[in-house]
Amino acid sequence: MHTASWHSVGMTLDECIKCNICTAYCPVAAVTEKFPGPKYAGPQAQRFRESGQLKSPDLSVDYCSACRVCNEVCPSGVKIAEINARAKAQIVAERGIPLRNWFFGRNEILGMIGNLAPQIANLGFHNPFSRLMAEKILGVARHAPIPHWSTRGSFASWFNRTPRLKSENKVVYFHGCSTNYYEPEVGQAAVAVLEHLGYEAIVPPQNCCGLPMLNNGEFPAAEKLYRSNLAKLLPYADRGYPIVGTSVSCVLVLREEASEMLDIENDQTRRFKNALWDLSEWLRDLHEQGKLDTNFRELKMILPYHVSCQARAHRMGRPSLDVMTLIPGLDVREGNAKCCGLAGTYGYKSEKYEIAMKVGADAFRFVRAQGDDARMVTSDSEICRWQLQHGTQKLGRAPIEILAAAYGLYDLDQRRLNTVALQKSSL
Amino acid sequence: MTELVVIGAGLAGLIAATRAAQAGHQVKIVAKGFGATHWHAGSIDLLGYFPNETIAIQRPLDAMRDVARVQPQHPYALLSDAQITDALKNFLALTREIGLPYVGAIQDGDNLWLPSPVGAARPTFLAPHAQRAGDLTRAEPMLIVGLRGMRDFYPELIAENLGKQGHPARAAFLPLDLITDRRDITTVQLAYALDDPARRARLASELKKLAQAGERIGVIGPNSVPGIRLTNALCNHLRQLGARVDVNMDVIAFRAEGDRVLWIESEASGRPLKHRAEKFLLATGGILGGGINTDHTGKIRETIFDMPLVAPRDRGQWFRARFFDPAGHPIFRAGIPVNREFQPVDANGARVFANVWAAGSTLAHCDPILERALEGIAITTGSAAACFAGQK
Repeated sequence: MHTASWHSVGMTLDECIKCNICTAYCPVAAVTEKFPGPKYAGPQAQRFRESGQLKSPDLSVDYCSACRVCNEVCPSGVKIAEINARAKAQIVAERGIPLRNWFFGRNEILGMIGNLAPQIANLGFHNPFSRLMAEKILGVARHAPIPHWSTRGSFASWFNRTPRLKSENKVVYFHGCSTNYYEPEVGQAAVAVLEHLGYEAIVPPQNCCGLPMLNNGEFPAAEKLYRSNLAKLLPYADRGYPIVGTSVSCVLVLREEASEMLDIENDQTRRFKNALWDLSEWLRDLHEQGKLDTNFRELKMILPYHVSCQARAHRMGRPSLDVMTLIPGLDVREGNAKCCGLAGTYGYKSEKYEIAMKVGADAFRFVRAQGDDARMVTSDSEICRWQLQHGTQKLGRAPIEILAAAYGLYDLDQRRLNTVALQKSSL
Repeated sequence: MTELVVIGAGLAGLIAATRAAQAGHQVKIVAKGFGATHWHAGSIDLLGYFPNETIAIQRPLDAMRDVARVQPQHPYALLSDAQITDALKNFLALTREIGLPYVGAIQDGDNLWLPSPVGAARPTFLAPHAQRAGDLTRAEPMLIVGLRGMRDFYPELIAENLGKQGHPARAAFLPLDLITDRRDITTVQLAYALDDPARRARLASELKKLAQAGERIGVIGPNSVPGIRLTNALCNHLRQLGARVDVNMDVIAFRAEGDRVLWIESEASGRPLKHRAEKFLLATGGILGGGINTDHTGKIRETIFDMPLVAPRDRGQWFRARFFDPAGHPIFRAGIPVNREFQPVDANGARVFANVWAAGSTLAHCDPILERALEGIAITTGSAAACFAGQK
């Protein structure tokens, strides 16, 4: 079946002029000889993966981290990262999936299970012995910054537990797995900001966006997740509600990656796509319409901002930066590292952990160079924040947490809503 | 509010944006991808040949005055001597400031002669400091060293060609595994590998063994590490000046009211992204850079604003019969006609938009590659267009 979207990825192959700009910019090929570079693993090897080929001839594509820097710099519009993702899916279809990658694809279930008894789960998994065993048995890198389950309960349970602002103006919030199970604070900050601006936040039932599965080559399973979200959220899109997300990679998957890679573009996916926003992008739009409350309190701090590769892949500019620069006193400094290295679940894999740390070196250097006064670091992707925290010992905070703090709703150190915000929502 | 949006991140766009940012303007670069900077040698060709001439130009600054006489519409003919020297001096100062100093005989006005990747003598005006050992006016014999198995670099061919032109040279090889375990390597990957001091030391010690007294050594080939370095350094410098550099932005629409462009719009994962600005500067390149596109019917279009173009009327006139015709091919001279302030004009010479300027290879009446003037046109017109835009 060759639909338009299959065509749009596959046909770009022929646009490749072999200029190697992608290879020159690939952060992975720059630090390891195990990956030949995007041109070789992508457009070039693709010619040997034509249908009828019994087995994929080259497995080095597994070392592609899916950061999409290649797409970004390609002057000819070749969708290299998507070609690589499809090649990985073909390998999984041929050879099956390693148990570890199967687990990584199911981070939502892992989140749910750990969330039942987070203290016990954290103790059980995040101790040196368990991590060593996980590395030896499963190949999960011992030192990789795998998040702790939140001991404050899931975001969804907090949302449903507390009384919420009702308003004519409604916004649907897509929290993603990491906010739900590991960093509910990010979601609380998002809801607090939305309500502060007079919007009613709606958090309908939703599930994992499917990114971990897409990255690990499990396309059929990822498609189920995508279709399930589509069914749950499209009714809201059709009512004209914007659907905003704080996880830049989830939004990218829902808005573009899934339908493109899985070859399921249709009228429904387009309506869904048109309703989706990165939250900072939505706030920037509000500001452009003159509707954003810019009555911020001063935040006197130096804040390194790492532009995550997933944020750049949106081609939406730097909305978080645009919004954060409105905050008086805040000295946001934009880095230009290509990738933090972690890239989804890539840096969690024992054979790739060292590569991920080497890729991240530029980002770590940039963050450290901002000095000891910079205690925190921000990035649109939770994965980047965890990796930067791991590589620099600074506190990772989401742009929306910074914004919530600037509205006086949030304590950045404690990662808690201020009582002001709590009172407001109970009105 | 962004004052100036520069479309394109080639040398013309980067220089234009830098000049505007230096002057204190709020600048943003919007570019589809990177371009010719990643392929050319990193040196700055000002003027190497006149069309129809096979003898290279020795003194390009003088020759540029002749261009004005012979081809009054050539971009160089639109520039004063002062504008040209200002652009070149600014470039030299800039590259010193960003830690990639260039050398050249800007005072005497002579071209430098450097070996090309096939061993031809290549006229250029400014070169990265690191390339100065290749100066062919020097007498020392050359040792050209390749890595066995590396594609796109053929030491024997280079040495033989240099020898035929009276430059004594010999070829030698080192094993690829001296530096890498890869079976196949690009020059950029080789450069990354040589960032490692241990590998660099290994290479240096082997080179010392190969070289004879008095020889100078040439290594590694095309695919432009110097060009990439220059681009990265210029981008970083721009960010330090407070400018934005956004690549992967494919401009798909614009809105004009009266004679002013209000915004351009680029493709994105969700809704298209609007870039509003007071002024816009086109530095999107020519036919090769993607600023000008053709279709199968022979229609030629400027890709952003659909500007009026000077171009061969039909497809049959695109090419001359001989591939290496010294007169060049008419299609490569297709481009945007501009006035003396580098603002695009229509067939009657009337300005198309009051707030749009153009620079670099997208300009009509030049064939930057044939003339060996690619970077010179980029730097001088980029600089001049940015200065004009800044004055308005």
